[in-house]
Amino acid sequence: MNGHADGPDLSAYLDGALAPEPRARVELHMASCADCRAELDSLRHLKLALSAAPRRNMPADLALALERRFVTGAQPWYAALSRKRVWVPAGALAVAAMTVSLWLRSAATIEEIPLEPLLAAHARYSAEALVPEDNLVASNYSDQLSDLSDASESDLQ
Amino acid sequence: MDRMEPQAFADLLRQAGDKAYNFAYRLAGNEQDARDLVQEAFARALEHAGSYDPSRAFDSWLLKILHNIFLDGARRLAYRRTVSLDAPAPVEDSSWEDILPAKDISAADELIRRESIDMVQLALERLPAHYKAAVVLCDVEGLSYDDIARIMDVPVGTIRSRIHQGRLLARKAYEELERSGGRRQ
Repeated sequence: MNGHADGPDLSAYLDGALAPEPRARVELHMASCADCRAELDSLRHLKLALSAAPRRNMPADLALALERRFVTGAQPWYAALSRKRVWVPAGALAVAAMTVSLWLRSAATIEEIPLEPLLAAHARYSAEALVPEDNLVASNYSDQLSDLSDASESDLQ
Repeated sequence: MDRMEPQAFADLLRQAGDKAYNFAYRLAGNEQDARDLVQEAFARALEHAGSYDPSRAFDSWLLKILHNIFLDGARRLAYRRTVSLDAPAPVEDSSWEDILPAKDISAADELIRRESIDMVQLALERLPAHYKAAVVLCDVEGLSYDDIARIMDVPVGTIRSRIHQGRLLARKAYEELERSGGRRQ
């Protein structure tokens, strides 16, 4: 081997892709060539940096989109609404919201309608509605009308 | 297009989904294009399922389809960062001599030692499509030269050359990024 090792051979050596014979040749050359050893080291660091990049796994929503597109019987997005796992938490949330709402509403009702004025009003209306019990009997009422009628006729005469 | 049974499709996704997406992301350099590439690759794979050789790994076949789609798109859209393989110099304003190992190897080596993963990824994005694919499949996906040759549909000797030249280009781009403070151009 004249000069330096062949570049692709160095990369292939790094990747473990050289056949035994050229591999032995490269190793023999590197034993006496500091430049090629340094070049190999540089390529190794680059390879490590490239392989160290975090992997990008397929996003879950993309996997779901692929499933909807290519799988037999796959349902559209709105079909997810019919699944129990969607409705159970949604129902629990609705019940909780309704409970809180009713509690707040009842608390507000007690504060907004004071009891004392209500009782006073009730007493007043009861008093105004008091009618002599005799007047509420139909025969008495008829007699009173009859008396009034007789009195009127005698006055006319 | 024929649809698949849920379990069969789940198996395919488990076997090749993450690998395909990672490859697509490294090729495209962004999430949206990676998603489009993966969707199109699966669509074509299922459309041409009859031509799939079950004795070969499905993920390699899918990566091959994805790579072809990427190259088609790169050609059609004339991606700014993609250059013709027939061009005499793989990097603008430079020649192959420029990207050969630097005389001051210790300085270049030190540059790589202080690597930042982001900078290396930016450098990778600057590679022409064929070199980028070869380097990604080798260094990121860890595939053998034979597998890469099958995916890229070229002889193994070409793959050897592309991987090495791609690494030199990536190192050159990395050094340029270092000099410019890591700014995209």
